[in-house]
Amino acid sequence: MNAMTVPLANYIALSAVIFFIGVAGVIVRRNPLIMLMSIELMFNAANLLFAAFARAWLHNAGHIFVFLVITVAAAEAAIGLAIVVTVFRSAKTVDVDDVALMKG
Amino acid sequence: MGVDGYYPTLIALWLLPLAGAILNWTFGPQLRRTAGPLASGVIGASFVATLWLWRDATQHLASGGVDLVGAHQALFSWIPGFDFGLLLDPLALLWTLIITGVGFLIHVYSIGYMDGDTAFARFFAYMNFFVFAMLTLVLSDNFVGLLVGWGLVGLASYFLIGFWFFKPTAVAAARKAFVINVVGDVGIMFAIFAIFASVHSLSFADAFAYADSYATPWLFVICLCLFIGAAAKSAQIPLHTWLPDAMEGPTPVSALIHAATMVTAGVYLVARCAPLWSQNGNAQVLVGTIGGLTALLGAILGCAQWDIKRILAYSTMSQIGYMIMGVGVGAYEGGVAHFFTHAFFKAQLFLASGLVIHALHDEQDVRRMGGLLKKLPFAFVAIATGVLAICGIPGFSGFFSKDQVISGALAHGYPWLYTLGIVTAGITAYYMCRLLFVTFLGSYRGQVDPSDLGMRHPELAGTSHSAGAMAQDSHEEHAANAEWFMIVPVAILIPFSVFIGWIMLGGESSPWARFFAEQFPHPALPQPPVSEGLTGLITFAVVLVGIGIAYVRYATANAQQNAVERLRSESIHMPGILTNAFYFDAALDLLFVRTSEALGRFFGRYLDPHVLDGAVRETVISAQWLGALTRSFQTGLVRSYAFILVFGAACFIAYYAIVAGGVR
Repeated sequence: MNAMTVPLANYIALSAVIFFIGVAGVIVRRNPLIMLMSIELMFNAANLLFAAFARAWLHNAGHIFVFLVITVAAAEAAIGLAIVVTVFRSAKTVDVDDVALMKG
Repeated sequence: MGVDGYYPTLIALWLLPLAGAILNWTFGPQLRRTAGPLASGVIGASFVATLWLWRDATQHLASGGVDLVGAHQALFSWIPGFDFGLLLDPLALLWTLIITGVGFLIHVYSIGYMDGDTAFARFFAYMNFFVFAMLTLVLSDNFVGLLVGWGLVGLASYFLIGFWFFKPTAVAAARKAFVINVVGDVGIMFAIFAIFASVHSLSFADAFAYADSYATPWLFVICLCLFIGAAAKSAQIPLHTWLPDAMEGPTPVSALIHAATMVTAGVYLVARCAPLWSQNGNAQVLVGTIGGLTALLGAILGCAQWDIKRILAYSTMSQIGYMIMGVGVGAYEGGVAHFFTHAFFKAQLFLASGLVIHALHDEQDVRRMGGLLKKLPFAFVAIATGVLAICGIPGFSGFFSKDQVISGALAHGYPWLYTLGIVTAGITAYYMCRLLFVTFLGSYRGQVDPSDLGMRHPELAGTSHSAGAMAQDSHEEHAANAEWFMIVPVAILIPFSVFIGWIMLGGESSPWARFFAEQFPHPALPQPPVSEGLTGLITFAVVLVGIGIAYVRYATANAQQNAVERLRSESIHMPGILTNAFYFDAALDLLFVRTSEALGRFFGRYLDPHVLDGAVRETVISAQWLGALTRSFQTGLVRSYAFILVFGAACFIAYYAIVAGGVR
């Protein structure tokens, strides 16, 4: 393969941007499904970082780690969706701010 | 100070009255009538024990350079330096003889006087308790024991003044006496602190042995504090206001406590601490002056009283002033001699006036008496001899003792106290003869309308016994028997008031002087300008003037006929300063009572609710505020928790990236 034509720094910057978009989404959005999607975004940002470094340092462990993270993310999404369904079945709204039972 | 040994009689003497008190307290209802003879018998036994110990009390022993006089019974040692025991030396013996002897006579008198009262046994319990307390005071060989006795006699006085507790005036008088006495107790306490700080011991022997080693300013402070105590107990200015009100108690109480014994405790204290006073001239001036002023003040106020017991109360105050003046200037034998003779004639006067009060069904105002010469001849003889004794008519006991005090004042270098003593003697003669003449001469004024006599509050005049009489069964039944119990003690006292003074005749070689030869310091004195004999003559002349004035005002045929008019005029024109007792009561009320009440109100209304409660409430409020603050973090919102998570992670990363130089 030829050497990377895109500098590593660009990949790190992109990953950071995607990560912070994900964080912003978790903090700002009130719909639990959107929050879960934002969490997935954060996972993918981390994944991008792993893949970029694995290519930059020609080390295959990074590529393996991407597969692990994808698996964990999928499992976590499944469980997260299950919790959302359970909680919001009784709450009858899809607004996270309305299930503040732990207030005070 | 005394010859150490084992004296079981002394311990018995001291504790028997306590046993009598406890028996009467516990078995009062069962004892009923026998409480009186039981209590009297106990005191009589103590008196016999005192006589038994006479020889031991006057023994001398020169041991290791120290002169030991009297009997010393060590009791127990609390800690080193705090040894408690009993000391019976000539001074203590004299007081014990009076306490048990005159006390016995008064107990017997009370059997008759308190006859019919429902609280008969309680009275005798209190009386026995008083004798025990007074004995503790005079028999202690250390300052703390003396203070214990001091406090207990104050308590006994409170019990007995307020004996008829359903009378609000009696209760108020008892409280007043006790509160003023507490002031004195505090004074003695401070003196004890100072003495202990100086000599590290509390026994008289140690305190006096090093009398010349006290720092002079401390010695004056000690004497001052001791004298505050003496002034409170002995009703000297300015702590004298409780004594006239103490007459609310039954007459035997007035006779025993407020004439013969308790009020003389101050005189005993000064006489006992003679070694301390002899070292400090300033203290002597203080005591002598206050004694002299009290003598004068008491006499002046005695001229303005209409209640027979109050006249005697002010008279007591005045005579104790003489005693205090005597022991203050250094004439210890004289002051103590006056205590001795005064105990007899004052007890006699009080008991005889009790006979009059009893016979007139509890009338105490002399304006409503009169003409009793024929009705109560024995009472007349008793009061007349008492009056002659207190005036100091030559030959009677009062003459010898008063003369010793007055010429002692001159001999020790106090000419103005000498003059004061002579003038007061004249005033004494006037008001005592006034009492005699108004009570016994003329015609009986009991039926006269009170306002015609100038009485403004007739309902306040002598209702003491009638309250107790409410609980009496038939008055007549007991009258005959009870009379004898009252008459015999007075009859026994009469020869003592008349003749006992003769043991003081002879100056240095009299039995009296020899009795106290080892007891008191005898500094060498310069020859006084006026000899003792001449002093006696001058005093007698002044006394005759006083008697003459009283005669002209109350005893002439004309005066007797117009008695009602004259008494009314005298009552109406009595100056306010005299009826209000020189406004001492008003001053004390303003200074202390009102201030204390105001202070109490301030504490109750402002300090307590706002400051103290406020501090507690503030603590609660700040705890609540802090809790509210912390609670504000618990929003229950998932998003804010997420934010905090992110924020914390960011801080960590920032720290490692920027501050700590990156992760290697």
